[in-house]
Amino acid sequence: MLEIKQLNKTINGKKILDHVSLQVPQGSIAVLLGSSGVGKSTLLRVLNNLETADSGAVLFNGKQLDLKTIHTSHIVGMVFQHFNLFDHLTIEQNITLPLEKILNKSPEQAQNIAHTYLKTYGLLEKAHSYPSQLSGGQKQRLALARTLALEAKIICLDEPTSALDPILTTQVAKSITQLAQQGYTVLIATHDTSLLEKLSCMIYLMKDGNIIESAESQQFCADQAQYPKIHQFVSGIDQ
Amino acid sequence: MEPMIDFQLIYNSLPYLLRGTIVSLEIAFLGCLIGVSLGTVLGLLQSGTNKLTQWFVAIYATIFRGTPMLIQITFVYSVLPEFGIVLPAFWSAVIAIGLNSAAYLSQIIRSGISSVGKGQIEAAHVMGFSKLQTIRYIVLPQAFAVIVPALGNEFITLVKDSSLASTIGVAELYKEATRIKGISYDVVSVYTAVSLIYLVITTTLSIGINKLEKRMNRHVRN
Repeated sequence: MLEIKQLNKTINGKKILDHVSLQVPQGSIAVLLGSSGVGKSTLLRVLNNLETADSGAVLFNGKQLDLKTIHTSHIVGMVFQHFNLFDHLTIEQNITLPLEKILNKSPEQAQNIAHTYLKTYGLLEKAHSYPSQLSGGQKQRLALARTLALEAKIICLDEPTSALDPILTTQVAKSITQLAQQGYTVLIATHDTSLLEKLSCMIYLMKDGNIIESAESQQFCADQAQYPKIHQFVSGIDQ
Repeated sequence: MEPMIDFQLIYNSLPYLLRGTIVSLEIAFLGCLIGVSLGTVLGLLQSGTNKLTQWFVAIYATIFRGTPMLIQITFVYSVLPEFGIVLPAFWSAVIAIGLNSAAYLSQIIRSGISSVGKGQIEAAHVMGFSKLQTIRYIVLPQAFAVIVPALGNEFITLVKDSSLASTIGVAELYKEATRIKGISYDVVSVYTAVSLIYLVITTTLSIGINKLEKRMNRHVRN
C-alpha cells in the first residue's frame, strides 16, 4: 500500500501541492487527472525526488520513505512523458548500464535481465538499435522495461499517452493493466481522458494542487452524474 | 635563376624533419591531453551553479584567450624561473599550449554539456545514478559526441601552434627546418617540405576526426 499524506509544495509563492493525500493499494492503479499545471506531474516528481516537498509524508507498506533518498532505494520508478531514454546508448545498454553501475550486476547478469524485459516488451530484436530508431510506442515500452529492470515497486507514468495514437494508447493501457496484475502499484498523471475507460483504476481529479474529487473508474463510467467534477472535466466543460 | 626544389636535400633532411615532426606531435598530443582534461573540469565548473567557480573559469578563459600563445610560452619558460619554477623548454611549451588550449576547450565543452537535455539528467537521477556517474556515463559521452568536430579543429590548431615552441629552442619541426635552412640556404626546398609535412598531418587528422564523428554520432538517425 502506498500512502501519501498531506504533501505540500510551493514554488515561487504558488501552492502546487496543497495537502494532497491519497492511498493506492498494491496491485492497483491511481490516475491523477487534471489540466496542465494542477500539480499532478509535480506529485510524481516529488515521489521521485525530482522536486522536494515542503511537508508531508509518503509511506509504503506502512514504512515511511525518506523522500530525499527515495531515488536510491529503487522502490519508485518513473516513466517520463518524453521517455528520456539515453540517446547515446543502445536499447540493451539503456537497461544494462543502470543495472551494472547502480545495482552492481555483472555484465552477464545485466544482459540476461535486459533480454528478459526486452523479450517481454517485444524489443529483443532491436537490442542493438538506438532509441532514435524506435517508434513512440517502442520508446514507451523501453522506458517501462528500464524502470522495471531496476526492480521498482511503484511505477509513476507521466502523461504516458500524450504522444501516442489511439491504437498505441490501447496497447499502453493493456501494459499498465498487466503491471497492476503483476502486483505493481501504478500512479499515472494524465489529462488524456480516453485512458480512463481503458483502465480499471481509481481516478483523482486535481485542481490548484488539491484533489477535488475521486471515483472508481467503473463506477464513474456507470454513473457519471454522481461525479460531477470529473464528468465536467471529461466532457471538456470549464470548471 | 628560377627557384628549384632540391629533392636530394629534402631526402637527406628527412630523418631530421621526421624527428622534428615527432616532437611537434608530442607537444600537440600532450598539450591536447592537458587541454581536454583541464578543459573538461573547467567546462563542468562553468556549467555548474557555483558563481565563484563560474567567475574563476571566466577569468581564466579571458586571460588565456586574450593574450598571444607566444607570450604564454615565453612566460612559462622565462618568467616562471623568476619565481623559482624552472621547467625544460619542451615541458614549458607543452604546459603553455595545454593551458591555452584548456581555455578554448572549456568553452567548447561547456557548450557541449549544455546541449545535453535536462531530461537525460533527470532520468539518471531517478534511477539512482550519483552526480559523478551521471557526468561520466550520461552527460560527457553525449557532450563529446556533439563537440568532436570542434575538438578536432582544436587539435589541428595545436599541431600548427606547436611551431611556436621553436622560439624557446625546442627542436620541433619548424626549428629543425630552420636549422637545415641555416646550413643549406635553400629556403624554397626546406619550407616547401615542412609545409607538406604539416599538410599531411592536418589532412590525416581531419579524415580521422570525420570518422570519429560518424562513429560517435551513430546513435543519431539519419
